[in-house]
Amino acid sequence: MTPLEVVFHLRTPVALGFPWIFFDSLLAHIRLKEELGERYYSLPTKVPMGAQLRVPLKRWRDVPVASVSIFEPQAGLAVFSFFKRGDFPFPRGRVERSRGFFKDYYLRAAYIPAVRVRFYCTGELEEVARLCRKVPALGKERNIGFGFIKRVEVREVEEEWGLVWNGVAMRPIPVRYLKSWEDAAWMAYKPPYWSKKSFDLCAVPFTRVELA
Amino acid sequence: MSGSDEDWLRRWREYFLAWYDEGRVEEKAEEAAEFASRYLDEGVVSVSGGKDSMTMLHIVATRCREDVAVFHWDHGPWLMPREVEEEIRRGIAAVAPRARLIVHEYRLGWSERARWDWEAWYKAFFSTLQSLGFRYHLLGIRADESCRRRARGRVVERRSWVEVHPIYHFSWRDTWAYVFKHNVPVPRVYFDYAKLLGWDKARLVTFFDKEFEKYGSPQLDSVLSWRWKAKPF
Repeated sequence: MTPLEVVFHLRTPVALGFPWIFFDSLLAHIRLKEELGERYYSLPTKVPMGAQLRVPLKRWRDVPVASVSIFEPQAGLAVFSFFKRGDFPFPRGRVERSRGFFKDYYLRAAYIPAVRVRFYCTGELEEVARLCRKVPALGKERNIGFGFIKRVEVREVEEEWGLVWNGVAMRPIPVRYLKSWEDAAWMAYKPPYWSKKSFDLCAVPFTRVELA
Repeated sequence: MSGSDEDWLRRWREYFLAWYDEGRVEEKAEEAAEFASRYLDEGVVSVSGGKDSMTMLHIVATRCREDVAVFHWDHGPWLMPREVEEEIRRGIAAVAPRARLIVHEYRLGWSERARWDWEAWYKAFFSTLQSLGFRYHLLGIRADESCRRRARGRVVERRSWVEVHPIYHFSWRDTWAYVFKHNVPVPRVYFDYAKLLGWDKARLVTFFDKEFEKYGSPQLDSVLSWRWKAKPF
């Protein structure tokens, strides 16, 4: 396992569903797709999958050594509003889409006009690079063009920066693993990031911490 | 708040203060007070804590009567984080210290289920309104919020009560101008949303509420109010 820096060069801005993207979940997602093939698209919802998957990243205790996204340049958020049809079965014939039960969803996506997304991790260079090349887009609303990737660079770095860099947390780390921390919040710290089982009181990314 | 945020807020404050005179907001407030005073003897002022209801409360409490009856619905922590709720309660106490405050707590709001089961919310809310027994409910609804609200009119007869909208003719600029002019306390989370969405679209609604999924609210909440997503208390 070697300390790595992964840089995704973007073609389009990244839409977000949370302030950060987790690198380990990105790799787990690609691995799961590889493992399941077509079955990936008919998975049951709300059932944690992929716990047994081998993701080529180092773990410190049960925390993956992989940073959250660093967006460059650090521009502020913007909002994109759009309409989307509901994903329920529509009846035959004419339906009113501007109001009533079949009214279109008026959605708003927060996005960052980033040109690069940087991650740090400790893992197997070859395998991480192979998986990263399979990522077509980052973030949310990829189906309408957000987060498209132009190219990806994976290179070795001298130090391990996936967990802590110069005393700053690079990802959520449970406070029970820390000696001191500047800011904490309840959030998921390991995949699956949507599951309650992954929640803990964690140091907030990019705030000062000291590992126990 | 960072330095640039404070600068942003200062510039907007300046704009809204200028609008207070330009838009004749004082006259509108006087008219709203005069209109509201007709209904206060048998009425209750419903305050969510948002900018509109706080503006209405300030108008009523400072221009009509201080000992007005105020109803506030506490959505519970899963829909309204405690930090915001505490700010709202402090705001109501500061604006109307002599008001007769009636607070009802939504029990299901202490369960995560409240975020997706909004039918239970409607049942609990309307049965509470009925149990209050007031003839008039004064709400901070404005005509320019939506076509539907415009169509509702200023006084609406319901089955068990009458809905009255004193600030019906206020625009979003009028409301913000009133807030800045009179230092009406509103939750600070407003400014985060206003910065991203614009002052006209910043609204205080329940957080992470599936009911508002059609408007993209939970997705924005996950980015702007992420701290309250996993455990809001």
